[in-house]
Amino acid sequence: MQLLWQILVNGILLGGLYALMALGLVLVWGVLNIVNLAHGALIMLGAYACYYLFAVFGWDPFAALPVSMLLLFSLGYVLQRFVLNLVIRAPMFNTLLITFGVEVIITYLAQITFSADFRTINPSYAGANFTFLGATVPLARLFAFGVALGLTAALWLFLDHTRIGRAIRATAQNLIAARLYGVNPRQLYALTFGIGAALAGAAGTLYGVVSQINPYIGAGLTGKSFAIAIIGGLDKSIYVLVGGLFLGIVESLTALYIGPTYTDVVSFGILVSVLIVRPTGLLGRTA
Amino acid sequence: MNTFLISFVMAILACAGPSFAAPIELGASIQLTGQFANTGRYYGDAYQFAVDKINAAGGVKVGKGREKLTLKILDNQSDVNLSVRQYVQLASQDKINFLLGSFASDFVLADSAIAEKYSIPMIQGGGASDQIFSRGYKYIFGTLPPASDYFQSTVDLMGHLKPTPKSIALLYADDAFDVSVAEGTRKAIGKIPFTLALDQRYSSKTSDFNSLLSLLKSQNVDAILVAGHETEILNFIRQAKTLNVSPKFYSFTVGVPSADFRNALGQDANYAFGMSSWVPTRTLKDEYFGDAEQFAREYQKRFGYEPDYHAASAVADVEAFVKAIESANSLEPAKVRDAIARLDFDNLYGRIHFNENGQINLPQTVVQVQNSKLVPIYGPKGPIENALYPMPPWSKR
Repeated sequence: MQLLWQILVNGILLGGLYALMALGLVLVWGVLNIVNLAHGALIMLGAYACYYLFAVFGWDPFAALPVSMLLLFSLGYVLQRFVLNLVIRAPMFNTLLITFGVEVIITYLAQITFSADFRTINPSYAGANFTFLGATVPLARLFAFGVALGLTAALWLFLDHTRIGRAIRATAQNLIAARLYGVNPRQLYALTFGIGAALAGAAGTLYGVVSQINPYIGAGLTGKSFAIAIIGGLDKSIYVLVGGLFLGIVESLTALYIGPTYTDVVSFGILVSVLIVRPTGLLGRTA
Repeated sequence: MNTFLISFVMAILACAGPSFAAPIELGASIQLTGQFANTGRYYGDAYQFAVDKINAAGGVKVGKGREKLTLKILDNQSDVNLSVRQYVQLASQDKINFLLGSFASDFVLADSAIAEKYSIPMIQGGGASDQIFSRGYKYIFGTLPPASDYFQSTVDLMGHLKPTPKSIALLYADDAFDVSVAEGTRKAIGKIPFTLALDQRYSSKTSDFNSLLSLLKSQNVDAILVAGHETEILNFIRQAKTLNVSPKFYSFTVGVPSADFRNALGQDANYAFGMSSWVPTRTLKDEYFGDAEQFAREYQKRFGYEPDYHAASAVADVEAFVKAIESANSLEPAKVRDAIARLDFDNLYGRIHFNENGQINLPQTVVQVQNSKLVPIYGPKGPIENALYPMPPWSKR
């Protein structure tokens, strides 16, 4: 029983991080109708940004987080405005191809720039933990979980309660109507993609604190984010959180009771089942 | 008339002696990019280093003259299918003379079939899985000791530790190398009265070990043996710390001997045991590099990072070809293949002598990270340095 409780705690903490990873992908997918295959690569860049701020300038990773987000926002904005915007009206297959290309380019540039050495972000509290009702709770993971919840809530508030947020949602719902109301989609798309990239930057920072970084972590993270997007649905940021938590808990339980070889089989099995049984996502709609 | 002239000139060039002779070309497909690039670079760099040294010393003696070595390296981007295609290209299109290997058993398992099909000898220092050498292939040779023996010296050491660990957990990734390691380890443990409390395979794509670690903690095992890749092992140790999982002893098949491992983990790398088929000492003499210590120094200077056994094994592959070609006094693949099978010489890596299957037998020295330095603990002749054991709990470090 004690073990089950520990596994649930592990799963919930993992799920929070998963949700944050998927949040940016879901936002871009929902608004721009682009499945950004370079999303994992952006997470990787966020992790490196934090690593260098930590290793070179001695910044605490959580202090480096806003800088990492800002850097990724700028990159995302430019990427959308000058590259992806050229294919925004193209069929989905083309956008898949172009984001795949971007992913490959970012990954290889990262290897050339950062080398293939393994990096870790190891602040003094990286291994700290405390006991809560008999379960060991790693402090860094809890921080990461808290930041993930905070950013999810912030995104929800932004989209629902600000003028720009409403314009973004309006563009996603009905482009023509939004234009008639004076929304400039070009600007808005770049802004949305920038926010998506900034969220990826945040996820990367937190990922670097709990795991190791190398230029090739991106593809696997895109896959995970994609699964969460499908499971949760694209409607609301809160659905992404539920999807992330669900996947985190299921994977942790699978690793214990079925075997750690099968975590991917189970998570992608769920993805396939959701697509067959409830293609709108467990909670909302899919594209 | 033109054709005749060209043939005539070419015939003269061909007869003009060694100065016009084609060099001996070695080819390999390596993970220069992609997820295995971190270890793949040892092979690219070490092959090149060995070829340069051998050429500087005059090259390879064949017939009356000396031939230079050239190296053709292709980047397989850590994709095993691309690797196979590149070996086909090297063998059929580029017509290189001999093949060197890539990194990792999964790759070598696939690549070696090409060497066998085209009857071109391949000496590789990247694949240790017993599966590679159990198929009766004649043209594949390996300079890494058998995967099934990796934990043998560690199990021997555990028998000498006080208090002796009683319960052991064996965790291994689901690839060819690690499955072979696990099979051998089970046998080794079976001979000694240890309890194998957990015998668990995990996906080599895993980055989250929290469930496994929680299970290990609840079972309170004394020793943990992990056969996996460096990325997994880094995650395993970091997550063990966050969950306060402190066994008395843990050991890992890869990673521990590399400087990259110690850099990435810092103080947290301490107490980790590992193994290496190679320790760079002065006693390991080499015709081209002086000795192993000198090689390690020059390598570090040239490439900017420390070599580990992967690099030494790769140098041994190139030197083995040189010795075999000189002994066969020919570049004919079949003759060179037979000469490789007969080889018996010492170099900076150790004694190069292949068994009937084509694999080398080198003892694994148990190593441990102590105060961020790599220390040899237990070798074929018994204890070398004192092991730091039992490992203190994370909270008391």
